[in-house]
Amino acid sequence: MQVQEILNMLFEPYIFIPLVFPGLIAAFIVLLIIIWLERKIAAKVQLRYGPLYIIKPLGGVIQTVADLIRYLFQEPIIPKDVDKLAFLLTPVFLFGLAYLPVVVIPIGPSYYAFRSDLSLLIALALTTLAPIFTVLMGWASNNKFSLIGSVREGYLVISYEIPIFLSALSMAILYGTLDLVEIAEAQRGIWGIFLNPVAAVNMLVLMYMSTSKFPFEIPEAESEIVAGPYTEYGGILYGLVMGASYVKLYVLSLVYSILFLGGWNPLPQSMIGNPFISGSVLFIKSFILVAFGAFLRAVYPRFRIDQAVGLGWRISLPLSLISIFISLLLVMGGVRFVY
Amino acid sequence: MEAEERELELLIGPQHPASGHMRLIAKIDGDVVTELRPDIGYVHRSVEKIAETKKFLQIIPLVERPSLPDTTANNLAYVMALEKLLGIEPPPRAKYLRTLLAEITRIHSHLYGLGIHGVMIGSSTAYMWCFGDREPFLQLAQELTGARLTYSYIIPGGVRRDMPKGFADKVEKVLRYMEGRMKDYFDIYFNNPVTRARLEGVGVLKREDAIRLGAVGPNLRASNVPYDVRKAEPYAAYPDVEFDVITEKAGDSFARVMVRVREIGESIKIIRQVLKRIPDGPILHENYEKLIPPKLKEQYKSTGIVKFPSLFANLKAPEGEAIARVEGGRGEVVFHIISDGKTSPYRLRMVTPSFRNVVLFEHLTKGARVADIPAIYGSLDYFPPEADR
Amino acid sequence: MSIDRTVRHVKAIITGTKYLFSGPRMTIMYPEDIEELPEGYRGMIEYDWNSCIKCSLCAMICPADAIKMYVSKEESEKEKKIVKRPGINYARCIFCGFCVDICPTNSLTFSKVHDMAYYTYEEHFYPPDKFAEGIKHVHKGRRVRVILDEKRGIKYEPVD
Repeated sequence: MQVQEILNMLFEPYIFIPLVFPGLIAAFIVLLIIIWLERKIAAKVQLRYGPLYIIKPLGGVIQTVADLIRYLFQEPIIPKDVDKLAFLLTPVFLFGLAYLPVVVIPIGPSYYAFRSDLSLLIALALTTLAPIFTVLMGWASNNKFSLIGSVREGYLVISYEIPIFLSALSMAILYGTLDLVEIAEAQRGIWGIFLNPVAAVNMLVLMYMSTSKFPFEIPEAESEIVAGPYTEYGGILYGLVMGASYVKLYVLSLVYSILFLGGWNPLPQSMIGNPFISGSVLFIKSFILVAFGAFLRAVYPRFRIDQAVGLGWRISLPLSLISIFISLLLVMGGVRFVY
Repeated sequence: MEAEERELELLIGPQHPASGHMRLIAKIDGDVVTELRPDIGYVHRSVEKIAETKKFLQIIPLVERPSLPDTTANNLAYVMALEKLLGIEPPPRAKYLRTLLAEITRIHSHLYGLGIHGVMIGSSTAYMWCFGDREPFLQLAQELTGARLTYSYIIPGGVRRDMPKGFADKVEKVLRYMEGRMKDYFDIYFNNPVTRARLEGVGVLKREDAIRLGAVGPNLRASNVPYDVRKAEPYAAYPDVEFDVITEKAGDSFARVMVRVREIGESIKIIRQVLKRIPDGPILHENYEKLIPPKLKEQYKSTGIVKFPSLFANLKAPEGEAIARVEGGRGEVVFHIISDGKTSPYRLRMVTPSFRNVVLFEHLTKGARVADIPAIYGSLDYFPPEADR
Repeated sequence: MSIDRTVRHVKAIITGTKYLFSGPRMTIMYPEDIEELPEGYRGMIEYDWNSCIKCSLCAMICPADAIKMYVSKEESEKEKKIVKRPGINYARCIFCGFCVDICPTNSLTFSKVHDMAYYTYEEHFYPPDKFAEGIKHVHKGRRVRVILDEKRGIKYEPVD
């Protein structure tokens, strides 16, 4: 096989999207950058410098690479009485499943790995697989603090899953389709966030609730239950679980950008065929959302579990029902989309 | 399922990110705490027994160190009790300087407590801001005494150093900085809806219980009991300055936090009055001044740094006992010295405010949730080394 | 959610953004920048051999038993009586400054060094001759002065 054929195969959508962008390699780079950026943003708000010493002129930007190398060489300690199979495999599955929905994300109107009539539903359904492994991690660790943390994660999952589905489906009612490519194409004139702001704000808050960003950092509340389900982990296993929640936030914000922020729109007609430019626009929008989630660390304390569950059921669920109602009103009022 | 099987016993022990130097043994049923017992004594260093082997002046740094960061209160209470035994009173300028240092210490001790409380409920911004804003106050104290936290500034008969030149302007700048920062603190932390939801209604201490259990300091004043040792039994320069005793009615964690924040404002008022009204004069009692050799006395008068008379190396207190009370940042500090005429005391008893507040742990956490344990712990401003001595 | 709570949420985020873009920093970049300490700072002790009158008041008042009197052999043989001079143990010194304040001849003075480090425990002990050599510690950083400021709290300005 010649180099040209290999390169041609690499740029085929069904290999490029899951593997390079916005798949594994891009998720990895986002992970490295956002952990550093979160520490720098929090430091700037808190009147200090953050990580600085590794390559000082660049502001310590490869601090995360140094941390990753340290994690790779550190011995992961496995306590004696844990459930070994579950203990060792759950971080791997967690990290792998966290970025699984990326296979259905299109980065151009004709550049997608997998197109189906139900791709929005597939993406959202695949994101619900990850929390099962968090709960399993807490049980396998044989530690009371991990148990409390995993029970809290279970409670949170129940209270945010339904409103997220309802808010996303209200946009599907508005656009009239569940296909992510068509949803992005439909927003050529006006973005979804202006049509249904209630659903947009609701889904933003729920997105942060589902990935343990402040003020919802409850399963891993450091001052109450040490590190929740992740207490007993060290070495590369800990690196994997720490990165898993950021990867899940990245994937969810890709879905959010396509649903509400117009995907790769507005782009002039000439550039629409080029996957790199449309992909970059999509990537920038989702990165801004991830960075905002990291910024919230510097502003908010932590909710209590019953307050967060109360927020999910008493405020988010009615708001998502209202957003479905608004979508129905708009559709019946004659709003139509052309693809 | 029986109650014994449902209940989880959680050891929030010394190796925990938010437990300090103590162990909390919690019995939890689901998310509700049924019983919380503090297990104190982890950092007991027998300060009272060591004091029986040291001379009177050597005990000054010894009793300061358990109560970081509120060192001046212990220093002042011990020296006041010693001066009662010796039968002397410091000159007026020394009294005002003692008040100045005590109020600067109160401000940065309250900021310490608020910062630790912030990180216990998850707001690292409150932690970093409070600790960053302590820094100008520590620089002021470094100008005045030569050290950042353990001053050992107050000696029997007066104080060790006079105010350096230009000190009053620096103090005024720092006070204006602190007042200007308060708006940002309220916007980002105290008025934050998440903070209010975490702290309001949590750990309510009713007025009768506060008086019955013997709580001290801001914990008592947040339950609508206006008791402050600076008004009940005034000492140092407090009879000459005007200030209010801050109380709050609610008695929950948020009220305790608000009492501390407003007491910072009152301390700023007191410092301004002290700097305006401070009289001139000597800073050491005349009995000790006349024991200093003449050449050293000239040096002391010109530089403002006291030279100890050699009597201090072997100071003997007459027989008797004396008690002194002082209002520290965390509450009331009581010192009781019994002397039998030698160079070391026969018995030294120090009662610290954290030791008297330990009983509130068990009382306030009945029926609270697991996440309320750090919220209540931080609001009490409990400092384990101070309670264990 | 009432209007008041929403307004407070927005205010918190706006304050955070304000500090994100224009927040000052209070960190001093030690050890590249060394703080210029004020006069009278209580650092490590310097001892003057010639003016000491060997009264041992410093050893009597030290609260941590850091200063102890060592017998000085040559002077004892010369003067036919026991002559003792002070030596200090920096593992025990608490930098309280009582010894400096009580010395009747100003033989003990403060230096401005507080951050020496030693490789072995025995290096902490300074017998009288080593004590008299002084503190030979050179800070290799840039000296900055701490300025108290109304807007920023603490500012650092280099001293040339």
